Amino acid sequence: MTAVPLAPVRRWISRTQSSHRERGATLNSLYIGVLTVAIIGGMLHRQLARIFWPAAPDASALAAGSLVAVCYGLLYLALRRFGPLALSRPAASWLLPAPVSRRRLLLPSLRIAGLVAAVIGALAGLAIVGHAAPRAEAGDEVALLVAGGGLAGLALLLVATAAQAGGPWGTALDRLAGLIFAAGLAGLVTSTTLDRPLTIEQWPAVTTLTPIVGALAALVVVALALVVRGLAATPSDRILEASRTAGTLFDTAFGIEPSFLTDMIERRYWARRRLRSTRLFPRLPVLVAQDLLLALRRRSRLMWLVLGAALPVLLGGAPGWVLGAAVLLGCLIAGMTAGGNVKTDAGNPVLLRLLGLSSRQAVFQRLWVPGVLAGLWAALALTALDVLGDLPAGPWWALGLVLGPIGAAAAVHRARVGFVRNELLPLDTPMGTLSTGPLVNAVMGPDLLLLGIPAWIAIAQGTLSWTTVLLQAIIGVAGARFYLSGTTGDDRTELSH
Amino acid sequence: MSPRNPAASVREVVDHPAVEVDGLHVGYGSTPVLLGVDLTVPAGTGVCVVGENGIGKSTLLRCVSGLQQPDQGTIHVFGGDPGATPEFWRAVVTTVEPPTWYPGLTAREHAELVCRAHGQDPEEAGVDEALERFGLAGHLDAIPPSLSSGQKQRLVLAIALLRPSSLLILDEPEQRLDREGRADVASLLADYVAGGGSLLMASHDDGFAAASGAAITTMESLSSVAP
Repeated sequence: MTAVPLAPVRRWISRTQSSHRERGATLNSLYIGVLTVAIIGGMLHRQLARIFWPAAPDASALAAGSLVAVCYGLLYLALRRFGPLALSRPAASWLLPAPVSRRRLLLPSLRIAGLVAAVIGALAGLAIVGHAAPRAEAGDEVALLVAGGGLAGLALLLVATAAQAGGPWGTALDRLAGLIFAAGLAGLVTSTTLDRPLTIEQWPAVTTLTPIVGALAALVVVALALVVRGLAATPSDRILEASRTAGTLFDTAFGIEPSFLTDMIERRYWARRRLRSTRLFPRLPVLVAQDLLLALRRRSRLMWLVLGAALPVLLGGAPGWVLGAAVLLGCLIAGMTAGGNVKTDAGNPVLLRLLGLSSRQAVFQRLWVPGVLAGLWAALALTALDVLGDLPAGPWWALGLVLGPIGAAAAVHRARVGFVRNELLPLDTPMGTLSTGPLVNAVMGPDLLLLGIPAWIAIAQGTLSWTTVLLQAIIGVAGARFYLSGTTGDDRTELSH
Repeated sequence: MSPRNPAASVREVVDHPAVEVDGLHVGYGSTPVLLGVDLTVPAGTGVCVVGENGIGKSTLLRCVSGLQQPDQGTIHVFGGDPGATPEFWRAVVTTVEPPTWYPGLTAREHAELVCRAHGQDPEEAGVDEALERFGLAGHLDAIPPSLSSGQKQRLVLAIALLRPSSLLILDEPEQRLDREGRADVASLLADYVAGGGSLLMASHDDGFAAASGAAITTMESLSSVAP
């Protein structure tokens, strides 16, 4: 089949599209984009400097190594999740099935993805060097390390592109990247527990760095050539899937509606899983049994939750109120891992009507599994903080358990929140117009964590008595009970307010 | 499948017709769809409304299900208002709305969930037999979104007939079913009505409606006002 040259087609599309736009619309968008970056950069330059180049190095060698695993592991997983090669939805519909060169069709996407991966890799390299390297005059070393970071980002993109076009080894590699990421997190937690961690005392010599970075550059060039040569073999279904992801990302950004993205990820996950029907635990109430089955079917999520219980340890050096807030937020996240069913019911009550349950019965049953998960997670997290010496001795495990009802109420409230209400009146502030819809949406769920104020104060002050545990238990159960009676009814099935 | 439908609610309200619609007016914007529609479905009988697309069959069924408010007129289901109450939904099953599905739950588990929510033992209710009868025996472990549209339609009907109910409101249940599937579903609906259940449905297939044991009526004949 004769391939039609792609460049004139793209030029025609671009010319036709721009003829429908107002004159200067592109320049206007560019101006607004640059201005936004400049304003945000101006506002946050101190915080950015602290993230990328703090006044004094504050990370040990172990922390620096762990950060490498966390940053680059996450970059690889993100690249795989989003494609990395994708076409816009119109291009996927009209150009993918057209007799054009697939390599030329995908090259612009590879260019953009390459630029993004290289910039993120370089920024990650800069931040890790900034936190771990000794402060001395070392311009060439920094430049080489940052360039190495950028090249590593590019290399990860090329591997992810090959995995997108390749076979089942891509899935094995994803698991490996997940393990590297988890090992990095574990390393970070361990580094905070060491009394005298090993620090990096001197820069690696330029004579050592130059050949390594040079070899990496040569490797990237060879891999790039191979990937470009193999682009034409990228299967259409992978490109279409990535295009749908990109389209959903745009919808999420323009509609300020994160549920578009999370729903798509959820749908894809279950579409890939092979399930075997099982009996719904007959001794449990039916919706509790269903939630439990769903939670058990996502064992990797439960494993991440257990690992995540060690993360508050990273904030051991932060002010107590930050640590308290992190534990409460963790409770919410732990509860939300079992919130898929209540989210389905809140979005569309068809199934609740078929079940013939009242909203009060449904929400009451839906609170149990998130509550158990939230309570166990908080107990684990607080016990870890207690054992590692970030909190003084006390019944912290008990405080964690009594946070369960709060995590449950907050998670169920969050799952019932529905779409962002963009019709809410915007607020005019000196900094510009503020949309209230996304703001209101974002606080629904976390707002119920205020019921955990006694625990928050106890963690912030570092003192805990059984009286506080009892007080927190009473407030938690009573709060969840009020939430149930205030937002549901025995005379209706719908969960939306 | 012997219908498990005639629940206590039927005996309690047997004095009332299953559905009683009087002077129903519904419009979308300035376009009237239903003008003075009257309809009665006596308890324990079936009625099938036929008519061309866009004539208002689905709108009528949505109003009777309490999912749409009419502009004028009254609707009674077993003598009460159609509504969002759990009691109403324990007596009435409708397929007027497109179904949604729970994440990570197989076709068989959906059927079991609905049975257990109504206090039925899934084995005694005959979940496996029902799914097999609807041609879903090979798809018990599939998640419903992965099924074809016809299989999803059959799953919805299987679940609707498995759980106890007093009134079925079905919108074109024969759609997306092959010839054999239509005959099977029609026979099951006829059993449902013979067992004391009430049936209100919309259909394009007169033969299917007749085989379901439902009295056929046209939308035009229900309207007391000339359009």
